[in-house]
Amino acid sequence: MLKVNQLVSGYGTVQILNGANMKVDKQSIVALLGGNGTGKSTILKAASGLIRSWKGTIEFNNEQIQNLPPHEIVARGLVQVTQGKDVFPAMSVTENLRLGGFILKTKQQLKDNLEKVFNYFPRLNERKDQLAATLSGGELQMLCIGRGLMSNPKMIMLDEPSAALAPQIVLDIFKNINRIRKDGLTVLVVEQNVRMALLLADYGYVIKDGVINVEGESKKLMYDESVKESYLGGTKANV
Amino acid sequence: MFEKFRLGKRGENIIFTIFILMYVAYCLNSPDMSFESFKTVLTIGLSVGIIYGLVALGISLIYTGLDVVNFSHGEFFMIGAFAGLTMFNILGNQDWIFNLFPEAYGWIIYVICLFTAFVSMGLFGVFIERIFLRPLTKKGGGYTVAGMGIIICGFGLSVVLINVAYLIWNPVAKPFPAELGLPMEIGGLFLPITYVWMIFVGLFVAGGLWFFLNKTKMGLGIRAVAFSKDVSNLVGINVPLYISIIFGIACAIAGIGGTLVGPTYQVVVFMGYIILMKAFAAAVVGGFGNLPGAIVGGFTVGIFETASSFYVSGSHKDLYAFLLMIIVLMIKPTGFFGVQVKMKA
Repeated sequence: MLKVNQLVSGYGTVQILNGANMKVDKQSIVALLGGNGTGKSTILKAASGLIRSWKGTIEFNNEQIQNLPPHEIVARGLVQVTQGKDVFPAMSVTENLRLGGFILKTKQQLKDNLEKVFNYFPRLNERKDQLAATLSGGELQMLCIGRGLMSNPKMIMLDEPSAALAPQIVLDIFKNINRIRKDGLTVLVVEQNVRMALLLADYGYVIKDGVINVEGESKKLMYDESVKESYLGGTKANV
Repeated sequence: MFEKFRLGKRGENIIFTIFILMYVAYCLNSPDMSFESFKTVLTIGLSVGIIYGLVALGISLIYTGLDVVNFSHGEFFMIGAFAGLTMFNILGNQDWIFNLFPEAYGWIIYVICLFTAFVSMGLFGVFIERIFLRPLTKKGGGYTVAGMGIIICGFGLSVVLINVAYLIWNPVAKPFPAELGLPMEIGGLFLPITYVWMIFVGLFVAGGLWFFLNKTKMGLGIRAVAFSKDVSNLVGINVPLYISIIFGIACAIAGIGGTLVGPTYQVVVFMGYIILMKAFAAAVVGGFGNLPGAIVGGFTVGIFETASSFYVSGSHKDLYAFLLMIIVLMIKPTGFFGVQVKMKA
Protein backbone atom coordinates (compact mmCIF):
# COMPACT_ATOMS: atom_id res chain seq x y z
CA MET A 1 0.00 0.00 0.00
CA LEU A 2 2.76 2.42 0.97
CA LYS A 3 6.09 2.05 -0.73
CA VAL A 4 9.11 4.16 0.18
CA ASN A 5 11.87 3.87 -2.38
CA GLN A 6 15.42 5.21 -1.88
CA LEU A 7 14.10 8.18 0.04
CA VAL A 8 16.54 11.02 0.77
CA SER A 9 15.32 13.89 2.88
CA GLY A 10 16.13 16.15 5.82
CA TYR A 11 15.64 19.53 7.43
CA GLY A 12 17.15 22.63 5.86
CA THR A 13 20.59 21.53 4.74
CA VAL A 14 20.87 18.65 7.20
CA GLN A 15 20.35 15.33 5.50
CA ILE A 16 18.67 12.77 7.75
CA LEU A 17 17.50 9.99 5.44
CA ASN A 18 20.13 8.43 3.21
CA GLY A 19 18.04 6.27 0.91
CA ALA A 20 15.48 4.46 3.02
CA ASN A 21 13.41 1.61 1.55
CA MET A 22 10.30 0.19 3.09
CA LYS A 23 6.97 -1.31 2.19
CA VAL A 24 3.67 -1.54 4.04
CA ASP A 25 1.16 -4.15 2.86
CA LYS A 26 -2.55 -3.66 2.90
CA GLN A 27 -4.30 -4.37 6.21
CA SER A 28 -1.10 -4.99 8.09
CA ILE A 29 0.55 -3.35 11.03
CA VAL A 30 4.15 -2.43 10.39
CA ALA A 31 6.48 -1.16 13.09
CA LEU A 32 9.25 1.30 12.32
CA LEU A 33 11.82 1.19 15.11
CA GLY A 34 14.93 3.08 15.92
CA GLY A 35 16.69 5.25 18.47
CA ASN A 36 16.55 9.00 18.78
CA GLY A 37 17.58 10.97 15.72
CA THR A 38 17.74 8.04 13.32
CA GLY A 39 15.06 9.35 10.97
CA LYS A 40 11.89 7.56 12.03
CA SER A 41 9.76 10.66 12.21
CA THR A 42 11.45 12.11 9.13
CA ILE A 43 10.05 9.26 7.02
CA LEU A 44 6.57 10.02 8.38
CA LYS A 45 6.90 13.74 7.74
CA ALA A 46 8.10 13.15 4.20
CA ALA A 47 5.22 10.74 3.58
CA SER A 48 2.62 13.18 4.87
CA GLY A 49 4.15 16.07 2.95
CA LEU A 50 5.31 18.23 5.85
CA ILE A 51 8.88 18.24 4.55
CA ARG A 52 10.16 17.87 1.00
CA SER A 53 11.61 14.65 -0.30
CA TRP A 54 14.93 15.41 -1.95
CA LYS A 55 15.32 12.19 -3.87
CA GLY A 56 13.55 8.89 -4.23
CA THR A 57 9.85 8.14 -4.41
CA ILE A 58 6.94 7.52 -2.07
CA GLU A 59 4.07 5.53 -3.54
CA PHE A 60 0.64 5.25 -2.01
CA ASN A 61 -1.91 3.02 -3.76
CA ASN A 62 0.40 2.86 -6.79
CA GLU A 63 0.47 6.63 -7.08
CA GLN A 64 3.49 8.81 -6.45
CA ILE A 65 2.75 11.22 -3.62
CA GLN A 66 6.14 12.70 -2.77
CA ASN A 67 6.13 16.53 -2.56
CA LEU A 68 2.36 16.83 -2.88
CA PRO A 69 0.82 19.45 -0.57
CA PRO A 70 -0.18 17.84 2.76
CA HIS A 71 -3.92 18.34 2.36
CA GLU A 72 -3.94 16.43 -0.91
CA ILE A 73 -2.16 13.52 0.73
CA VAL A 74 -4.81 13.50 3.45
CA ALA A 75 -7.49 13.55 0.76
CA ARG A 76 -5.92 10.43 -0.78
CA GLY A 77 -6.40 8.60 2.51
CA LEU A 78 -2.97 8.69 4.12
CA VAL A 79 -3.17 10.33 7.54
CA GLN A 80 -0.43 10.97 10.05
CA VAL A 81 -1.46 10.79 13.69
CA THR A 82 0.68 13.11 15.76
CA GLN A 83 1.83 12.65 19.31
CA GLY A 84 -0.72 13.43 21.98
CA LYS A 85 0.65 16.88 22.68
CA ASP A 86 -0.34 18.15 19.24
CA VAL A 87 -4.06 18.71 19.83
CA PHE A 88 -5.77 22.11 19.76
CA PRO A 89 -5.89 22.85 23.49
CA ALA A 90 -8.32 25.78 23.35
CA MET A 91 -10.98 23.72 21.54
CA SER A 92 -13.30 21.09 22.93
CA VAL A 93 -12.87 17.39 22.23
CA THR A 94 -15.74 17.41 19.73
CA GLU A 95 -14.28 20.41 17.91
CA ASN A 96 -10.93 18.65 17.70
CA LEU A 97 -12.61 15.61 16.19
CA ARG A 98 -14.62 17.76 13.79
CA LEU A 99 -11.35 19.25 12.60
CA GLY A 100 -10.12 15.73 11.93
CA GLY A 101 -13.04 15.30 9.57
CA PHE A 102 -12.37 18.62 7.87
CA ILE A 103 -12.17 17.13 4.39
CA LEU A 104 -15.53 15.32 4.72
CA LYS A 105 -18.22 16.70 2.45
CA THR A 106 -21.49 16.02 4.30
CA LYS A 107 -22.66 16.43 7.89
CA GLN A 108 -23.95 12.86 7.93
CA GLN A 109 -20.47 11.45 7.28
CA LEU A 110 -19.14 13.61 10.08
CA LYS A 111 -21.78 12.30 12.45
CA ASP A 112 -21.16 8.67 11.48
CA ASN A 113 -17.42 9.02 11.92
CA LEU A 114 -17.85 10.75 15.25
CA GLU A 115 -19.89 7.78 16.40
CA LYS A 116 -17.26 5.39 15.08
CA VAL A 117 -14.52 7.16 17.03
CA PHE A 118 -16.59 7.24 20.21
CA ASN A 119 -17.13 3.53 19.70
CA TYR A 120 -13.38 2.94 19.65
CA PHE A 121 -12.73 5.29 22.55
CA PRO A 122 -15.71 5.59 24.92
CA ARG A 123 -13.57 7.78 27.17
CA LEU A 124 -13.72 10.56 24.58
CA ASN A 125 -17.52 10.40 24.58
CA GLU A 126 -17.53 11.06 28.31
CA ARG A 127 -15.25 14.05 27.83
CA LYS A 128 -16.65 15.40 24.58
CA ASP A 129 -17.51 18.92 25.79
CA GLN A 130 -14.31 19.40 27.79
CA LEU A 131 -11.46 21.56 26.53
CA ALA A 132 -8.70 19.39 25.12
CA ALA A 133 -6.20 21.12 27.42
CA THR A 134 -7.83 19.43 30.42
CA LEU A 135 -7.39 15.85 29.19
CA SER A 136 -4.86 13.40 30.59
CA GLY A 137 -1.96 12.09 28.53
CA GLY A 138 -3.71 8.86 27.56
CA GLU A 139 -6.89 10.67 26.60
CA LEU A 140 -4.90 13.10 24.47
CA GLN A 141 -3.35 10.19 22.58
CA MET A 142 -6.82 8.68 22.08
CA LEU A 143 -8.01 12.05 20.82
CA CYS A 144 -5.17 12.22 18.32
CA ILE A 145 -5.88 8.73 16.98
CA GLY A 146 -9.57 9.52 16.86
CA ARG A 147 -8.89 12.72 14.97
CA GLY A 148 -6.84 10.75 12.46
CA LEU A 149 -9.70 8.29 11.96
CA MET A 150 -12.27 11.01 11.35
CA SER A 151 -11.35 11.59 7.70
CA ASN A 152 -12.04 7.98 6.59
CA PRO A 153 -8.39 7.19 5.93
CA LYS A 154 -7.13 4.07 4.17
CA MET A 155 -3.94 4.08 6.17
CA ILE A 156 -2.81 5.81 9.34
CA MET A 157 0.74 6.47 10.47
CA LEU A 158 1.19 6.76 14.22
CA ASP A 159 4.05 8.78 15.64
CA GLU A 160 5.04 7.20 18.96
CA PRO A 161 1.61 6.44 20.37
CA SER A 162 3.16 5.12 23.58
CA ALA A 163 5.33 8.16 24.36
CA ALA A 164 5.20 9.13 28.03
CA LEU A 165 2.21 6.94 28.92
CA ALA A 166 1.62 4.37 31.65
CA PRO A 167 1.98 0.72 30.51
CA GLN A 168 -1.70 -0.01 31.20
CA ILE A 169 -2.81 2.82 28.91
CA VAL A 170 -0.29 1.83 26.23
CA LEU A 171 -1.80 -1.66 26.26
CA ASP A 172 -5.27 -0.21 25.91
CA ILE A 173 -4.26 2.00 23.00
CA PHE A 174 -2.43 -0.86 21.25
CA LYS A 175 -5.49 -3.07 21.59
CA ASN A 176 -7.48 -0.35 19.87
CA ILE A 177 -4.91 -0.06 17.11
CA ASN A 178 -5.32 -3.79 16.52
CA ARG A 179 -9.09 -3.31 16.36
CA ILE A 180 -8.64 -0.52 13.84
CA ARG A 181 -6.56 -2.83 11.68
CA LYS A 182 -9.19 -5.57 11.89
CA ASP A 183 -11.73 -3.05 10.60
CA GLY A 184 -9.76 -2.73 7.39
CA LEU A 185 -7.15 -0.03 7.88
CA THR A 186 -3.43 -0.25 7.32
CA VAL A 187 -1.24 0.94 10.17
CA LEU A 188 2.34 2.10 10.35
CA VAL A 189 3.63 2.56 13.89
CA VAL A 190 6.77 4.48 14.72
CA GLU A 191 7.90 3.41 18.14
CA GLN A 192 10.63 3.56 20.71
CA ASN A 193 8.94 0.92 22.82
CA VAL A 194 10.39 -2.00 20.85
CA ARG A 195 8.83 -4.88 22.74
CA MET A 196 5.29 -3.54 22.67
CA ALA A 197 5.54 -2.50 19.04
CA LEU A 198 6.80 -5.90 17.92
CA LEU A 199 4.06 -7.65 19.88
CA LEU A 200 1.53 -5.61 17.98
CA ALA A 201 3.05 -5.56 14.50
CA ASP A 202 3.26 -8.17 11.76
CA TYR A 203 6.43 -6.85 10.24
CA GLY A 204 9.18 -4.61 11.51
CA TYR A 205 11.83 -2.28 10.16
CA VAL A 206 14.76 -1.02 12.22
CA ILE A 207 16.22 2.22 10.99
CA LYS A 208 19.74 3.36 11.77
CA ASP A 209 21.56 6.44 10.46
CA GLY A 210 18.88 7.14 7.89
CA VAL A 211 18.80 3.72 6.24
CA ILE A 212 16.85 0.58 7.04
CA ASN A 213 19.28 -1.61 8.94
CA VAL A 214 17.28 -4.73 9.74
CA GLU A 215 13.87 -5.90 8.63
CA GLY A 216 11.79 -9.01 9.08
CA GLU A 217 8.78 -10.69 10.64
CA SER A 218 8.21 -9.21 14.05
CA LYS A 219 8.41 -12.62 15.76
CA LYS A 220 11.85 -13.08 14.29
CA LEU A 221 12.97 -9.56 15.05
CA MET A 222 11.98 -9.97 18.68
CA TYR A 223 14.85 -12.43 19.25
CA ASP A 224 17.26 -10.91 16.79
CA GLU A 225 20.58 -9.99 18.34
CA SER A 226 21.29 -7.30 15.78
CA VAL A 227 18.07 -5.50 16.68
CA LYS A 228 19.21 -5.18 20.23
CA GLU A 229 22.56 -3.89 19.05
CA SER A 230 21.15 -1.55 16.44
CA TYR A 231 18.56 -0.19 18.73
CA LEU A 232 20.48 0.08 21.94
CA GLY A 233 23.86 0.94 20.50
CA GLY A 234 25.57 -2.35 21.31
CA THR A 235 24.62 -2.84 24.92
CA LYS A 236 23.03 -6.23 25.47
CA ALA A 237 20.06 -5.20 27.55
CA ASN A 238 16.85 -7.11 27.95
CA VAL A 239 14.68 -5.66 25.23
CA MET B 1 25.58 53.63 39.86
CA PHE B 2 22.00 53.88 38.72
CA GLU B 3 20.84 51.60 41.53
CA LYS B 4 19.85 54.47 43.78
CA PHE B 5 17.61 55.98 41.11
CA ARG B 6 15.40 52.94 40.99
CA LEU B 7 12.08 53.16 42.68
CA GLY B 8 10.71 50.29 44.67
CA LYS B 9 7.28 48.85 44.07
CA ARG B 10 5.98 51.26 46.67
CA GLY B 11 7.57 54.28 45.04
CA GLU B 12 6.08 53.34 41.71
CA ASN B 13 2.68 53.01 43.30
CA ILE B 14 2.93 56.43 44.94
CA ILE B 15 3.93 58.19 41.72
CA PHE B 16 1.24 56.32 39.92
CA THR B 17 -1.43 57.36 42.38
CA ILE B 18 -0.26 60.98 42.16
CA PHE B 19 -0.63 60.85 38.38
CA ILE B 20 -4.13 59.43 38.57
CA LEU B 21 -5.16 61.99 41.20
CA MET B 22 -3.78 64.76 39.00
CA TYR B 23 -5.78 63.43 36.08
CA VAL B 24 -8.96 63.22 38.14
CA ALA B 25 -8.36 66.72 39.53
CA TYR B 26 -7.91 68.06 36.02
CA CYS B 27 -11.15 66.38 34.96
CA LEU B 28 -13.05 67.77 37.94
CA ASN B 29 -11.64 71.21 37.21
CA SER B 30 -13.16 71.31 33.74
CA PRO B 31 -15.91 73.87 33.22
CA ASP B 32 -18.52 71.45 31.88
CA MET B 33 -19.24 68.64 34.32
CA SER B 34 -22.89 67.81 33.67
CA PHE B 35 -24.23 64.34 32.99
CA GLU B 36 -25.55 65.60 29.66
CA SER B 37 -22.10 66.41 28.35
CA PHE B 38 -20.89 63.06 29.61
CA LYS B 39 -23.43 61.38 27.34
CA THR B 40 -21.96 63.23 24.36
CA VAL B 41 -18.47 62.22 25.36
CA LEU B 42 -19.56 58.61 25.74
CA THR B 43 -21.22 58.51 22.31
CA ILE B 44 -18.27 60.04 20.52
CA GLY B 45 -15.86 57.89 22.51
CA LEU B 46 -17.68 54.69 21.65
CA SER B 47 -17.94 55.58 17.98
CA VAL B 48 -14.26 56.44 17.71
CA GLY B 49 -13.45 53.40 19.82
CA ILE B 50 -15.24 50.94 17.58
CA ILE B 51 -13.16 52.18 14.63
CA TYR B 52 -9.95 51.63 16.57
CA GLY B 53 -11.42 48.28 17.61
CA LEU B 54 -12.15 47.19 14.03
CA VAL B 55 -8.64 47.99 12.84
CA ALA B 56 -7.18 46.38 15.97
CA LEU B 57 -9.34 43.32 15.23
CA GLY B 58 -7.67 42.99 11.85
CA ILE B 59 -4.20 43.43 13.33
CA SER B 60 -4.92 40.81 15.99
CA LEU B 61 -6.40 38.42 13.45
CA ILE B 62 -3.32 38.65 11.24
CA TYR B 63 -1.11 38.30 14.29
CA THR B 64 -2.83 35.11 15.46
CA GLY B 65 -3.12 33.61 12.01
CA LEU B 66 0.16 34.53 10.39
CA ASP B 67 2.40 35.20 13.42
CA VAL B 68 3.40 38.57 11.97
CA VAL B 69 2.40 42.14 12.75
CA ASN B 70 0.99 43.94 9.74
CA PHE B 71 2.24 47.53 9.69
CA SER B 72 0.41 48.37 6.48
CA HIS B 73 -3.02 47.79 8.00
CA GLY B 74 -3.79 51.52 8.31
CA GLU B 75 -3.42 51.85 4.56
CA PHE B 76 -6.02 49.17 3.95
CA PHE B 77 -8.27 51.27 6.17
CA MET B 78 -7.54 54.35 4.06
CA ILE B 79 -7.99 52.62 0.70
CA GLY B 80 -11.21 51.08 2.05
CA ALA B 81 -12.50 54.59 2.73
CA PHE B 82 -11.61 55.62 -0.82
CA ALA B 83 -13.27 52.53 -2.24
CA GLY B 84 -16.46 53.41 -0.38
CA LEU B 85 -16.22 57.03 -1.52
CA THR B 86 -15.70 56.03 -5.15
CA MET B 87 -18.76 53.83 -5.02
CA PHE B 88 -20.66 56.68 -3.39
CA ASN B 89 -19.70 59.07 -6.18
CA ILE B 90 -20.81 56.57 -8.80
CA LEU B 91 -24.15 55.87 -7.16
CA GLY B 92 -24.78 59.47 -6.09
CA ASN B 93 -25.56 60.51 -9.68
CA GLN B 94 -28.01 57.72 -10.38
CA ASP B 95 -31.53 59.09 -10.40
CA TRP B 96 -33.22 55.72 -10.72
CA ILE B 97 -32.18 54.68 -7.21
CA PHE B 98 -33.67 57.90 -5.90
CA ASN B 99 -36.87 57.26 -7.85
CA LEU B 100 -37.02 53.69 -6.61
CA PHE B 101 -36.46 54.45 -2.91
CA PRO B 102 -37.20 58.13 -2.26
CA GLU B 103 -37.43 57.56 1.50
CA ALA B 104 -34.32 55.55 2.35
CA TYR B 105 -32.23 56.72 -0.59
CA GLY B 106 -29.13 57.76 1.40
CA TRP B 107 -29.13 54.68 3.57
CA ILE B 108 -29.30 52.23 0.71
CA ILE B 109 -26.42 53.89 -1.10
CA TYR B 110 -24.38 53.94 2.10
CA VAL B 111 -24.96 50.26 2.80
CA ILE B 112 -23.89 49.46 -0.77
CA CYS B 113 -20.74 51.54 -0.17
CA LEU B 114 -19.96 49.60 3.01
CA PHE B 115 -20.45 46.35 1.18
CA THR B 116 -18.24 47.51 -1.69
CA ALA B 117 -15.48 48.47 0.73
CA PHE B 118 -15.77 45.10 2.48
CA VAL B 119 -15.58 43.01 -0.68
CA SER B 120 -13.02 45.08 -2.57
CA MET B 121 -10.69 45.33 0.40
CA GLY B 122 -11.01 41.60 1.02
CA LEU B 123 -9.96 40.84 -2.55
CA PHE B 124 -7.26 43.52 -2.42
CA GLY B 125 -5.89 41.99 0.79
CA VAL B 126 -5.74 38.53 -0.77
CA PHE B 127 -4.00 40.05 -3.80
CA ILE B 128 -1.39 41.86 -1.66
CA GLU B 129 -0.78 38.74 0.42
CA ARG B 130 -0.32 36.52 -2.61
CA ILE B 131 1.82 38.89 -4.65
CA PHE B 132 3.95 40.69 -2.06
CA LEU B 133 4.06 38.67 1.15
CA ARG B 134 3.83 35.03 0.01
CA PRO B 135 7.09 35.10 -2.04
CA LEU B 136 8.97 36.00 1.15
CA THR B 137 8.06 32.61 2.61
CA LYS B 138 9.56 30.70 -0.36
CA LYS B 139 12.67 29.79 1.62
CA GLY B 140 10.55 27.47 3.72
CA GLY B 141 9.19 27.61 7.22
CA GLY B 142 6.17 29.70 6.29
CA TYR B 143 5.22 32.96 7.94
CA THR B 144 6.59 32.04 11.35
CA VAL B 145 10.15 31.89 10.05
CA ALA B 146 9.92 34.75 7.55
CA GLY B 147 8.44 37.03 10.23
CA MET B 148 10.96 39.87 10.31
CA GLY B 149 11.12 40.16 6.54
CA ILE B 150 7.37 40.41 6.38
CA ILE B 151 7.25 43.11 9.05
CA ILE B 152 9.76 45.22 7.10
CA CYS B 153 7.79 44.49 3.94
CA GLY B 154 4.72 45.80 5.76
CA PHE B 155 6.45 49.15 6.39
CA GLY B 156 7.39 49.33 2.73
CA LEU B 157 3.88 48.43 1.61
CA SER B 158 2.54 51.19 3.81
CA VAL B 159 4.67 53.80 2.02
CA VAL B 160 3.89 52.36 -1.40
CA LEU B 161 0.15 52.23 -0.81
CA ILE B 162 0.06 55.81 0.50
CA ASN B 163 1.86 57.01 -2.62
CA VAL B 164 -0.34 55.00 -4.95
CA ALA B 165 -3.39 56.51 -3.27
CA TYR B 166 -1.73 59.94 -3.58
CA LEU B 167 -1.36 59.42 -7.33
CA ILE B 168 -4.93 58.25 -7.82
CA TRP B 169 -6.89 60.49 -5.46
CA ASN B 170 -4.46 63.40 -4.78
CA PRO B 171 -3.82 64.63 -1.23
CA VAL B 172 -6.82 66.94 -0.91
CA ALA B 173 -9.21 65.90 1.87
CA LYS B 174 -12.48 64.79 0.34
CA PRO B 175 -15.91 65.04 1.90
CA PHE B 176 -18.13 61.96 2.01
CA PRO B 177 -21.58 63.57 1.98
CA ALA B 178 -23.72 60.55 2.81
CA GLU B 179 -27.33 61.63 3.34
CA LEU B 180 -28.34 59.75 6.44
CA GLY B 181 -31.03 62.02 7.79
CA LEU B 182 -31.10 64.73 10.41
CA PRO B 183 -28.63 64.91 13.30
CA MET B 184 -29.67 63.43 16.65
CA GLU B 185 -29.68 65.33 19.88
CA ILE B 186 -27.48 63.61 22.45
CA GLY B 187 -26.62 65.41 25.66
CA GLY B 188 -27.71 68.83 24.45
CA LEU B 189 -25.46 68.59 21.41
CA PHE B 190 -26.59 67.82 17.90
CA LEU B 191 -24.48 64.96 16.61
CA PRO B 192 -24.65 63.47 13.11
CA ILE B 193 -26.46 60.15 13.13
CA THR B 194 -23.31 58.55 11.74
CA TYR B 195 -21.84 58.43 15.26
CA VAL B 196 -24.51 55.99 16.42
CA TRP B 197 -24.49 54.20 13.08
CA MET B 198 -20.74 53.58 13.42
CA ILE B 199 -21.20 51.87 16.78
CA PHE B 200 -23.95 49.59 15.53
CA VAL B 201 -22.28 48.59 12.27
CA GLY B 202 -18.98 48.06 14.06
CA LEU B 203 -20.53 45.81 16.67
CA PHE B 204 -22.43 43.98 13.94
CA VAL B 205 -19.19 43.32 12.02
CA ALA B 206 -17.41 42.18 15.19
CA GLY B 207 -20.33 39.91 16.11
CA GLY B 208 -20.39 38.56 12.57
CA LEU B 209 -16.70 37.72 12.82
CA TRP B 210 -17.28 35.96 16.13
CA PHE B 211 -20.09 33.92 14.60
CA PHE B 212 -17.97 33.13 11.56
CA LEU B 213 -15.02 31.95 13.62
CA ASN B 214 -16.96 29.92 16.14
CA LYS B 215 -19.94 28.49 14.29
CA THR B 216 -18.81 27.74 10.74
CA LYS B 217 -16.54 25.11 9.32
CA MET B 218 -14.26 27.66 7.67
CA GLY B 219 -13.97 29.47 11.00
CA LEU B 220 -12.96 26.24 12.68
CA GLY B 221 -10.26 25.84 10.04
CA ILE B 222 -9.05 29.41 10.62
CA ARG B 223 -8.77 28.79 14.36
CA ALA B 224 -6.85 25.59 13.68
CA VAL B 225 -4.45 27.35 11.31
CA ALA B 226 -3.96 30.10 13.91
CA PHE B 227 -2.94 27.51 16.47
CA SER B 228 -0.64 25.30 14.46
CA LYS B 229 0.15 25.16 10.75
CA ASP B 230 1.66 21.67 10.95
CA VAL B 231 -1.27 20.01 12.67
CA SER B 232 -3.68 21.84 10.37
CA ASN B 233 -1.80 20.39 7.41
CA LEU B 234 -2.16 16.92 8.86
CA VAL B 235 -5.94 17.13 9.20
CA GLY B 236 -6.20 18.12 5.56
CA ILE B 237 -6.64 21.89 5.71
CA ASN B 238 -5.26 23.80 2.73
CA VAL B 239 -3.09 26.07 4.87
CA PRO B 240 -1.81 28.52 2.18
CA LEU B 241 -5.40 29.17 1.11
CA TYR B 242 -6.52 29.76 4.68
CA ILE B 243 -3.68 32.20 5.30
CA SER B 244 -4.92 34.21 2.32
CA ILE B 245 -8.46 34.09 3.70
CA ILE B 246 -7.32 35.33 7.11
CA PHE B 247 -5.45 38.24 5.54
CA GLY B 248 -8.40 39.04 3.30
CA ILE B 249 -10.89 39.09 6.18
CA ALA B 250 -8.65 41.34 8.25
CA CYS B 251 -8.31 43.79 5.36
CA ALA B 252 -12.03 43.67 4.60
CA ILE B 253 -12.83 44.64 8.20
CA ALA B 254 -10.36 47.53 7.99
CA GLY B 255 -12.06 48.64 4.75
CA ILE B 256 -15.46 48.73 6.46
CA GLY B 257 -13.87 50.81 9.22
CA GLY B 258 -12.63 53.32 6.65
CA THR B 259 -16.02 53.72 5.00
CA LEU B 260 -17.68 54.07 8.42
CA VAL B 261 -15.36 56.93 9.34
CA GLY B 262 -15.80 58.68 5.98
CA PRO B 263 -19.09 60.59 6.48
CA THR B 264 -18.21 61.70 10.01
CA TYR B 265 -14.74 63.00 9.29
CA GLN B 266 -13.18 63.25 5.86
CA VAL B 267 -11.36 60.96 3.52
CA VAL B 268 -7.65 61.82 3.24
CA VAL B 269 -4.67 59.90 1.91
CA PHE B 270 -2.89 60.20 5.25
CA MET B 271 -5.69 58.99 7.50
CA GLY B 272 -4.28 55.48 7.84
CA TYR B 273 -1.15 56.25 9.79
CA ILE B 274 -2.58 57.67 13.00
CA ILE B 275 -5.40 55.12 13.00
CA LEU B 276 -2.82 52.33 12.79
CA MET B 277 -0.97 53.71 15.81
CA LYS B 278 -4.16 54.11 17.85
CA ALA B 279 -5.30 50.65 16.81
CA PHE B 280 -2.00 49.25 18.04
CA ALA B 281 -2.62 50.96 21.35
CA ALA B 282 -6.10 49.42 21.40
CA ALA B 283 -4.81 45.95 20.56
CA VAL B 284 -2.15 46.17 23.26
CA VAL B 285 -4.63 47.45 25.84
CA GLY B 286 -7.02 44.59 25.07
CA GLY B 287 -4.31 41.95 24.92
CA PHE B 288 -2.40 41.49 21.67
CA GLY B 289 -3.81 38.68 19.56
CA ASN B 290 -7.08 38.44 21.46
CA LEU B 291 -10.10 39.23 19.28
CA PRO B 292 -12.72 40.29 21.88
CA GLY B 293 -9.87 42.10 23.62
CA ALA B 294 -9.29 44.17 20.47
CA ILE B 295 -12.85 45.53 20.53
CA VAL B 296 -12.80 46.15 24.29
CA GLY B 297 -9.39 47.80 23.95
CA GLY B 298 -10.73 49.96 21.12
CA PHE B 299 -13.64 51.14 23.26
CA THR B 300 -11.34 51.83 26.20
CA VAL B 301 -8.91 53.84 24.11
CA GLY B 302 -11.72 55.71 22.34
CA ILE B 303 -13.55 56.70 25.53
CA PHE B 304 -10.37 57.60 27.39
CA GLU B 305 -9.17 59.72 24.49
CA THR B 306 -12.46 61.56 24.03
CA ALA B 307 -13.00 62.09 27.74
CA SER B 308 -9.46 63.38 28.21
CA SER B 309 -9.59 65.76 25.29
CA PHE B 310 -12.97 67.03 26.52
CA TYR B 311 -12.23 67.38 30.23
CA VAL B 312 -8.47 67.92 30.33
CA SER B 313 -7.16 69.47 27.16
CA GLY B 314 -8.18 69.08 23.55
CA SER B 315 -4.90 70.30 22.16
CA HIS B 316 -3.07 67.05 22.93
CA LYS B 317 -5.69 64.68 21.60
CA ASP B 318 -3.32 62.15 20.04
CA LEU B 319 -1.33 61.74 23.23
CA TYR B 320 -3.93 60.06 25.40
CA ALA B 321 -4.18 56.73 23.56
CA PHE B 322 -0.49 56.07 24.11
CA LEU B 323 -0.63 57.33 27.69
CA LEU B 324 -3.34 54.76 28.35
CA MET B 325 -1.27 52.09 26.64
CA ILE B 326 1.72 52.86 28.86
CA ILE B 327 -0.43 52.79 31.99
CA VAL B 328 -2.02 49.47 31.07
CA LEU B 329 1.35 47.97 30.23
CA MET B 330 2.65 49.05 33.64
CA ILE B 331 -0.24 47.49 35.55
CA LYS B 332 -0.95 44.42 33.43
CA PRO B 333 1.71 43.76 30.78
CA THR B 334 -0.45 41.24 28.92
CA GLY B 335 -3.35 43.66 28.44
CA PHE B 336 -6.90 43.08 29.64
CA PHE B 337 -7.45 39.70 28.02
CA GLY B 338 -3.86 38.64 27.51
CA VAL B 339 -3.57 34.88 27.25
CA GLN B 340 -0.85 32.29 27.14
CA VAL B 341 0.87 32.42 23.81
CA LYS B 342 -0.40 29.18 22.37
CA MET B 343 -3.98 29.43 23.60
CA LYS B 344 -4.68 32.19 21.13
CA ALA B 345 -7.62 32.39 18.70
